Amino acid sequence: MSKRLALLLLAAVPCAAVATDSYTLDPYHTFPTFTVDHLGVSTIFGRFNKTSGKFTIDRAAKTGAVEIAVETATVDTGDADKGSRPRSRDEHLRSADFFNAAEFPKMTFKSTSVFFSADNPSTIDGNLTLLGVTKPLKLTLERFKCNPASGTSKERCGGNATGKIKRSDFGMKTGLPAVGDDIALNIEFEGLKD
Amino acid sequence: MQSWLDHPAVQAGGVPLLVALAVAAALSRTRWAWLGIVAGYAAMIAMSSGFSFSPLTASRKVMLVGLLAPVLGIIADLALKPARWPALALSAVAGVLTVWVFVSVLQQREGMAAYGAAAGVALFVAALVYATLRQRDDGLRTGAAGLGLGLAAGIVGVLSASIGYLLAGISIAAAAGALLLVQVVASRSIAAGFTGALPVGLLTALFATGTLLLAELRWYVLPLLVLIPLATTLPAPERARSIARAAVLAAYALVAAAIPILAAWYAARGSLS
Repeated sequence: MSKRLALLLLAAVPCAAVATDSYTLDPYHTFPTFTVDHLGVSTIFGRFNKTSGKFTIDRAAKTGAVEIAVETATVDTGDADKGSRPRSRDEHLRSADFFNAAEFPKMTFKSTSVFFSADNPSTIDGNLTLLGVTKPLKLTLERFKCNPASGTSKERCGGNATGKIKRSDFGMKTGLPAVGDDIALNIEFEGLKD
Repeated sequence: MQSWLDHPAVQAGGVPLLVALAVAAALSRTRWAWLGIVAGYAAMIAMSSGFSFSPLTASRKVMLVGLLAPVLGIIADLALKPARWPALALSAVAGVLTVWVFVSVLQQREGMAAYGAAAGVALFVAALVYATLRQRDDGLRTGAAGLGLGLAAGIVGVLSASIGYLLAGISIAAAAGALLLVQVVASRSIAAGFTGALPVGLLTALFATGTLLLAELRWYVLPLLVLIPLATTLPAPERARSIARAAVLAAYALVAAAIPILAAWYAARGSLS
């Protein structure tokens, strides 16, 4: 009996090992976006055009992990052509006044905990590192859905996560208060199963 | 009131001018009047970004080096005999310091590009610092150089997508203007020594280097900035009243400052890129 039990346990170990599903972010369908107030009269919309990372989900244990790296030099607020001006807004955002892309080419988010609601992740606690400063950030998954693998296509999971930060917490103080301190984040993402 | 204090012209111009005037006037009988330069710069920092050194980014290293430069200057004034070699030595130290300040940016470049950039900015800073230190015994010449360098560093900064270095440069120009004013009112030159000349040259050189590496400044604008302290060594009527000498020297500096400003302006418009 103990031999059978041992064999059953040995058989169960590989199954437990593959209970964690790992996904690589699809860079063509993953875009962190942000909004910020301008002079109290309008909202500026921006996004980052290059992101990489991975996430894992263990639905049985209801745990997971996320790691995202965003290239700060790809910031895009729709103003890249300076025309007759000395600089465009996107050039200014890349400078040391804001994202300082030359010194900090990436900002990263690493999860510390993932919380589930039913079978899907619902909130992610983690740390955002921007301009060399690391601060906690809570992301709420507004949507999370997986399309099963079919034919030659791998399983694809995606959704969007939202959060809020104060840019001054990370030392980004240029333009305050004319350009708002509160930044609303929305990360649309898709990942392909490894 | 707060909106007035938040205005860049107040943060970079008005308050540094007043603070530098107060320090220079109080210490006008000594060369420590030139501590007004770093006092004006510190006032701008206090009103804009605040004093924070963590994490120690390149911009914060510029701030740290700038705030400590007068200390090095005081030590050099007290401990070293008047000779040529201290200026050369301090200029070399400034060049090496520049690489330390911007190492986090330089190491993002690959291979020889990183070494080339490091050597280039070190050489530029050393040259500008030496050109400024050469006239440390003449307070009016140093003040005029500071006025021109500060204005040029600030304006090329804003033309190259950096408001931070605009504020920094203008604060040095305002403080240097205060030192010129105190000397004109006192009708005598107050030698800057290393205490005054080192912060003027080193800070403006680091601002320009920061604008090159962290913003959109073109590299060819940097050597043009060295024309400014060279211009203030031109002959000025030595027996004229202080106000006349100050006006002539300031004119030299402003005309020389127009050259890198124009180069940065044309580069920003795409005409020279």
